[in-house]
Amino acid sequence: MKNLIQFFIRYSIFFLFLLLETTAFLLIVHNTGFQRIVFLSSANSVAARMYQSSESIFDFFKLKQANMKLNEENADLRNRIVGLQNELIRIRNMQNDTAYIPAENDLQYIPAKIINNSTNKYKNYITINKGERDGVAPGMGVIATDGVVGIVKTVSNKFAVIIPILNPEISINSKFKSNNYIGPVEWQGEDYRFANLMDIARHVHVYKGDSIVTSGLTSTFPEGIPVGTVEEFYLGENNAYYTIQIRLAVNFRTLSYVRIIRNNNQSEWENTEKTAQMPTPND
Amino acid sequence: MRIIAENIFRFLLLVIVQVLFLNNLQFTYCTPYIYILFILSLPVACPRWLDLIAGFVMGLTIDMFSNTLGMHTFACVLIAYLRYFTIKLFISEENRITNKPSFHSFGVMPYVKYVILLTVAHHTVLLALEAMTFVNWWITLLRIIISSAVSIAIIIALQFVKRN
Repeated sequence: MKNLIQFFIRYSIFFLFLLLETTAFLLIVHNTGFQRIVFLSSANSVAARMYQSSESIFDFFKLKQANMKLNEENADLRNRIVGLQNELIRIRNMQNDTAYIPAENDLQYIPAKIINNSTNKYKNYITINKGERDGVAPGMGVIATDGVVGIVKTVSNKFAVIIPILNPEISINSKFKSNNYIGPVEWQGEDYRFANLMDIARHVHVYKGDSIVTSGLTSTFPEGIPVGTVEEFYLGENNAYYTIQIRLAVNFRTLSYVRIIRNNNQSEWENTEKTAQMPTPND
Repeated sequence: MRIIAENIFRFLLLVIVQVLFLNNLQFTYCTPYIYILFILSLPVACPRWLDLIAGFVMGLTIDMFSNTLGMHTFACVLIAYLRYFTIKLFISEENRITNKPSFHSFGVMPYVKYVILLTVAHHTVLLALEAMTFVNWWITLLRIIISSAVSIAIIIALQFVKRN
């Protein structure tokens, strides 16, 4: 007994070391399970506030670029208004169709500002200044003026953490704009400008510069938001699928404003799909 | 008392520098992690259990800011544990009583060796953990080499700047 106690005292430092390493290791392994612990992510208020105040200093230097972006977007929106007005006049002149049901306005955009961003890690994350009280929830899609950014992961009251495309944890369900062939876009962890489009079978014709957009087959993103353009592609003699490298539409290094997509039908959509996968009761 | 205050101050300063500036460096293969200077600069006489706890707290703080739950913690606790052995290995007995590891107290070469060994250990473990699910080992190796080299350079350069 005495020896045993002596043994423990002698190696107590080593045991403490093991205990702490095991704790750290468990945190790593269960990372996804801990994602609800807002306190341990950069969405916690101390970390987020610090990022916010440092960002407000750097903001000043990005003003010119942000201005240009807004200008472009403004112009684009004005063009669309003109288009829609024409459409409206055309439709008013047509006869009333009694079977017409107006489409539900199920999408809402929440504007947000990026307060922390990385592009040079394997797993990159973005912190933004909108949270639960602004209507942000985990699983919502995030876009910028140029295209898809990522998906919301963790939400605190005033802040949220986004997983961008530049993180192997997510893939974006996408398709060719021209011929509608569908495949996931995944990032390989190397260059923040490029990602890969997977699962495109060899009979599809691929051309350099083809546009890749979101497929609209998930509730996260509506159809047709730009993801990128084909930069290079390769098809080995024995490969069933192409290796396609795409240039991402969004420049993640200069990104500072994003919009979160709130799909009011998201839960109904997902629940219906879940119910459909349950076994049918016999009768 | 002064030593404790000095270490807490160093902790805060390094965390701020790390998360606000170094983590945002936009070079593809290079993120120097100089916050480990906090662990490297703990007093030699610091009890080993306190080394470990200090490493754990430092790692967890950095993890919180960079959303890498557990990874920095793991690497930090490891080098906090190895620190004692490294000091024993490179630094002669009479230099070990001094308070804070530096050029002045350890001598230039022993200190450089001490920094290189612990920094490389930390970066290797950290980047390997980060890359755990990846096939591309060459890129991980490149990241380890470049990031370690830059971190070591910065930590050594800081020694020239400081007066003691």
